[in-house]
Amino acid sequence: MFRTVSQRYPTGFRLVATVVLCAVALAITFVLTPLDDSKLAGGAAMSIVILGLSWLIGWSGQVSLGNAGFMAIGAYTTAIWANHHTTSPIIWSLFLSTVLGGVSGFVLALPATRLRGPYLAGMTLAFSFAVAPLAIDSRSLTGGSGGLFINFLNSPSWFANLFSGSDALVKANAQWPADVAIVVAAVAFFFMANLFRSRTGRALRLVRDNEVAAELVGVNLQRTRTLAFVISAAYAGLGGSMMTLLSGSVTPQTYGLTLSILLLTLMVLGGIGTLSGAVIGGLIYSYSDNIVSIVNKVTGVNPTSTFGANLKGIVFGVLLILTMMLAPRGLVGLGSYLRRLVRR
Amino acid sequence: MTSPTGALTLSVENVSVHFGGLYALSDVSFDVAANEIVGLIGPNGAGKTTAFNVVCGFLRPQSGTVRFPHLGRSDLRPHQLAHAGIARTLQGVGLFERLSVLENVMAGAQSRPGGGVLWGALGLPRSSRGERLLRAEALSNLERLGVAGYAASLPGEIPYGIAKKVAVARALMVQPSLLLLDEPASGLDENELEEFARVIIELGTTTSVLLVEHNMDFVMPLVHRLVVLNFGQVIAAGSPEEISHDETVLAAYLGVDE
Ligand SMILES: Nc1ncnc2c1ncn2[C@@H]1O[C@H](COP(=O)(O)OP(=O)(O)O)[C@@H](O)[C@H]1O
Ligand SMILES: [Mg+2]
Repeated sequence: MFRTVSQRYPTGFRLVATVVLCAVALAITFVLTPLDDSKLAGGAAMSIVILGLSWLIGWSGQVSLGNAGFMAIGAYTTAIWANHHTTSPIIWSLFLSTVLGGVSGFVLALPATRLRGPYLAGMTLAFSFAVAPLAIDSRSLTGGSGGLFINFLNSPSWFANLFSGSDALVKANAQWPADVAIVVAAVAFFFMANLFRSRTGRALRLVRDNEVAAELVGVNLQRTRTLAFVISAAYAGLGGSMMTLLSGSVTPQTYGLTLSILLLTLMVLGGIGTLSGAVIGGLIYSYSDNIVSIVNKVTGVNPTSTFGANLKGIVFGVLLILTMMLAPRGLVGLGSYLRRLVRR
Repeated sequence: MTSPTGALTLSVENVSVHFGGLYALSDVSFDVAANEIVGLIGPNGAGKTTAFNVVCGFLRPQSGTVRFPHLGRSDLRPHQLAHAGIARTLQGVGLFERLSVLENVMAGAQSRPGGGVLWGALGLPRSSRGERLLRAEALSNLERLGVAGYAASLPGEIPYGIAKKVAVARALMVQPSLLLLDEPASGLDENELEEFARVIIELGTTTSVLLVEHNMDFVMPLVHRLVVLNFGQVIAAGSPEEISHDETVLAAYLGVDE
C-alpha cells in the first residue's frame, strides 16, 4: 500500500525542500485575510498531530484513538507553564509540551504495545475518554471544566511594523500566530521526513509487515512499538501546545473522543503514512467549517437544530467512508490514481 | 558417526522439548563446524522445525543447551541472533510485503550500529551515510544471487523462486557465520532447485549452513553431513553416503516417506 522508495535524497535536499516550502507558505499568509490566516494556523497545528498519528498507524501498524489525549497533555502543559512563566519564550512551552507528550506516550505504550487490533484501539479509546474527567477533577492544576486562559500570541512590534493601513494591527496579530505555526510545523515535518528515511522508520514497517521476520533481523519488537508511540504522542503534544497558543485557552471538552476520531478521519482523507497526506489533512481541518456550512446550505439543514449541530460529525463520517471506498490511499493517492487513468 | 573437524559454530547439547506429554525433541545433540553444510532431515513431525526454533531462541528447551562456540555464547534470543552474525530464513519466504525487494534486503542489516533514532530524526550524516552504504551492500548481495533486476519490485510481484533468493540475500546482510535455512527447496521447480543448490554450495564456502529439508534428492548432493531425526530423537548422523545405506534410516524414513 505504501510503496516507499528508500533513501534517494540526502538530508540536505530535505532541508532545502523544507525551507523552500516553508517560505512559500509564509509568503502566502501575507496575502490572506486575517480570518484565513487563523484558519491556516489551526490547520498547521493539526497537521503536526496528523503526521504523528500517521507515523503510528501507517508506519508501525498500531491504531490509536488516544492521540487527542496526548494533545491535551501538550495543551495543558503549555497553559500551565505560560501562566506561571508569563515572560518565558514560547519555544519553552513548545519544547516542554513535546517532551511531556512523549512521556505520556511512553506510559501508555507500556500496556498498549502488548495489545493488538481491537484491544489496542479499545485501550487508547479508554484513554481518550479519561482525559476530560481527569482534567475536570484536577481543578487546582487545570482550572476544572472552565479550563485555563493564557495571553494571546500577539505579534511583536517589528512584525506589526511590516503592515500599514487601518487594519494593520488586526492583520499582524492574525498572521503572526499563523507564521509561528507554519515554522513549527516545518520543523516537525523535517524531522519526520528524516525519520521516514531512517533505519528507525524501516524498523517500524518491518514490525508492521512481519513480526517474526523483523525479530530475526534484529528488531526489538517491544522497543520499536514503544518508540512509535512515544514519537506519535510527542507530535500530538506539540500540536496541542500550538492549539493552546493559538486559541489562548484550553478546555477539557476540546480533547475528547470526537477529536481523536476527527484526527483519524483527516489522516485517512489526506492519505495515511505520507507527509503530503498530513498537510492535506491539516488543510481540510482549516476549512472544515466552510465544508460543513456548504453542506448546510445545500441540504437546507438548520445549523442550530440538534441535527445541524452534529452535521460536522456526519459529514466527516460520510467523507471517511467514501475515501476508504474510492481512494483508500487518501487524496494523495487519488492524485496518482487519476494520473494513471489519464495515461491509460 | 563422523565428528566434524575444525572449530564449531553450533553445538546443540542434550536438548529436550515437550509440549504437554508429547516429546517433540528428546535428548537431541548435534554440531555444525565452520564452513560445513549440514542437513537436518526426518519424516513429518520428527521435530525438525522444533529443533530450528530452539536454535533460534523462539523456543526454550525444557533441558539442554544451544551453544555457539565460536562466539562463546549460548541460548540467544531471536533479536540477538542477527547481531551475533547468525541468520535464519523462514519456511516459505517471510519477506516484508510492503517493502521493495531492495529494502527487504537492507532490512537484514537492521541490527548494525549507527541506526539510532536521534541520528535518524536529525538526518545527521552518520545516519544517511549508513543508509547509503546499506543500499550498496544490499544491491551487491542481490547481484551475488543473480536477482538484482528485481530490486525495485514488491515481494508480491516476483516469482516464488526469486523471493526465496531475496530472503537469502537478506540473511547475508549480517555476514553470517552461521546460516539457518528452513525448507529452502519447498515450492521450487526442477530448474530452480538446481540453481538453489549451487547457491547454497557457494555460500558454504564462506559460512556454516544448517538446513532443514525433506526433499532428499535436493539435500543429498549438497550437504557434507546429515543428521536424521525421528520421533524427536537423532537416529543417525553421517555423510550422505553413510546415511543412504543406514538400515535404521531406511526403515524409519526413506522407506516410509519417499
Ligand atoms: N507448538 C506446538 N504445540 C504442540 N505440539 C507441537 C508444537 N509444535 C510442534 N508440535 C509437535 O511436535 C512434533 C514435532 O513437530 P515439528 O518440529 O514441527 O516436526 P517437523 O518440522 O519435523 O515436521 C509434532 O508431533 C508436532 O505435532
Ligand atoms: Mg516442519
